[in-house]
Amino acid sequence: MIQRFHKAGLIVAATMVLSLRLAASFPIYGHQTVLPAGSELNEQALDVPREIFRSESAGGRKSYLINLGDLAFNSPSLLGGVARQAGMSCGTCHVNGASNPKFYIPHMSTRPGNFDTTGSLFNPKADNGILDPVRIPSLRGAHLLGPYGIDGRNASLRDFARTVIVEEFAGPEPSAALLDALVAYIQDIDFLRNLGLGPAGRLTARASDAERRGEALFVKPFPHNPTMSCATCHVPSSAFVDHRQHDVGSGGMFKTPTLLNADFNAPYFHDGRFDSYDQIVGHFDRVFDLGLSPEEQRDLVAYLTAVGDGERPYERDGVGAALKEISDLASVLDTAIPAHDTDIIVLAVDTVDRELRELTEQFPDHKDPSVTGGQEERRRARGALKDLVLRLSRIGLAASAGQFDVAIVEYRNFRNLSLAAVPNLLRAAQRWSLFNPTVRDAHYAALAQMLQTANK
Amino acid sequence: MRLTTLCIMLAAVAVPAVHAEPFDEAVERYRLAMIEDVGQALSGARDLRDRLSKQDIAGARNAWIDARVGWERSEVFTSGFVPELDEAIDAWPDAAAGFHGIEAQLFGADPADGGDKADALIAQLADLDARVRTMKLTPQGLLEGVVRLAYEIGDSKVDGGESRLSGTSLNDMRNNADGIELAYRTLFAPKLEVVDRALAERVQSEIGQLKALLMVADLKSVDADNLRKTSEVLVVALQAAAPKLGLGTPTLEAASR
Repeated sequence: MIQRFHKAGLIVAATMVLSLRLAASFPIYGHQTVLPAGSELNEQALDVPREIFRSESAGGRKSYLINLGDLAFNSPSLLGGVARQAGMSCGTCHVNGASNPKFYIPHMSTRPGNFDTTGSLFNPKADNGILDPVRIPSLRGAHLLGPYGIDGRNASLRDFARTVIVEEFAGPEPSAALLDALVAYIQDIDFLRNLGLGPAGRLTARASDAERRGEALFVKPFPHNPTMSCATCHVPSSAFVDHRQHDVGSGGMFKTPTLLNADFNAPYFHDGRFDSYDQIVGHFDRVFDLGLSPEEQRDLVAYLTAVGDGERPYERDGVGAALKEISDLASVLDTAIPAHDTDIIVLAVDTVDRELRELTEQFPDHKDPSVTGGQEERRRARGALKDLVLRLSRIGLAASAGQFDVAIVEYRNFRNLSLAAVPNLLRAAQRWSLFNPTVRDAHYAALAQMLQTANK
Repeated sequence: MRLTTLCIMLAAVAVPAVHAEPFDEAVERYRLAMIEDVGQALSGARDLRDRLSKQDIAGARNAWIDARVGWERSEVFTSGFVPELDEAIDAWPDAAAGFHGIEAQLFGADPADGGDKADALIAQLADLDARVRTMKLTPQGLLEGVVRLAYEIGDSKVDGGESRLSGTSLNDMRNNADGIELAYRTLFAPKLEVVDRALAERVQSEIGQLKALLMVADLKSVDADNLRKTSEVLVVALQAAAPKLGLGTPTLEAASR
């Protein structure tokens, strides 16, 4: 009983998180933007998916290659073209390696959380003339989930990553080193731990009665095809996948998605047509004529919810998390500058520069009337971040001129500041920043008021 | 070539300050230009109010755009020298007052009478107009204003920018760049050309590059990456110029009130 309340509490908490994210989001506006008006990238979300890495879970640390992959993953220049102009990177859709259920681009999405990879916006040459968006999948546990792509078109993650960059986004041909790094990064993104699951994907002792009944139904042969059960494709001992494509009555052959951490991966099915497990169970009941009673359907949903759970799925964005990300990305320079690897230095400078500028905007300037107090603290925080941007810029300039000794000195200064003085200044200003939900709500309410006034 | 030159410049030891020509005369020349720009903003705001009173919405919109020209050019000094007026006149996001409060009403689907807001804006611009004539303008403060504005131009406008409701964010950026060029040429170029001609040419070249990047059909056609990098190269160059002009390294945020 206690566990059931715990589970219910988690679901309520998750709902609250999603509500908060809805409240904090804001669409792109106007007719002068690269992305169409009404596009929603959900970049204002205050609670973001928690990202954990296999390398760190094992007690080690992320390698240079993994950090380089993280850097490339979050670099708009990797995708090039329209995405670069719009400031979009792989990380825009796969936030912290997970999904982005609010992502929406008019004429490229039919609902939040899906996206037409063969539309005209990013690569007109790939436009198939059909609005056929696919859901944005989470990449957690990707090392266990091949083949890749919603339809499982690529056995190789490396090939798939290249396909996305070059064919879907018309980006420049990535170097072999960058592809290796992207693969290393994606394969290091781990599933969130689920204490409700034990070895071989079986429920643990903490499971409720409904979840146990659901588990039994999950492995029970279908009445009209005894060779099949849910578990035939969603193999519990194999991350709940079978690495194959199937037609489950949704309009084609699509690869079996994992059920692990799936509570946080809605919308569901290849095109994101379903919002909930109830709808999914109802679909399978109809298509495979399973004859499930309402109670059995509820039990299956309880089981799926238990399997799809994960520890602390979201984390609050803030100064600490932002600086950790920036530090990880900038750490690539530890290796790249001494190696005189100018291409990587330029990539790092460009990507971290963007991140720092975005972080600066979390501390509203004196012109923002929706924020009161902390003006001096905000000013210092903004000034410190801008100073870091310029130090980075100097690193890029020096490296591009072949002056790597100068770049090393500048980088040392950048590192010293970003590890000590800057965090202190940012923490001092955090309560008046957009990381504070009250301040954030006031800021976005003021922005919304402007749009509402214009749209009356 | 461009990067090499700049890096040599960065590595160079700062030369002693030069006092060949006092800044005072240049500052007064710049003041005259600012009086003209603020006057244009004020005149535009008055025209805006008149048009609104006649229900001439199209004319009021044009007047709003005209008023922004002088205002955006004068931002070199407003953020540092009159931050309270800067905030009142150009508050963002704010639907209730200032340029953007009027913008929200005027460029909306159903533009209503924004006369009260226009009156308030006129009063604020008139205050600015009076103060710019007599207030103390320091070369250090003006260099900081140039640097801050140069940096700000490189910020992302992917969301539509500051004046997204009127669709004139690109105008804002162009006028900012004009304001930067005016301040640099009037105040700092003459001295810098004496002490470091190559650096002076470098700064002017980057300003030219900045302006060229803004000479596109619309906001979405701006090469945002290049603009950001150019703005940073310009700021770095201006920071390098500061000691050669006998000035301190410019800060990137205006002091609080």
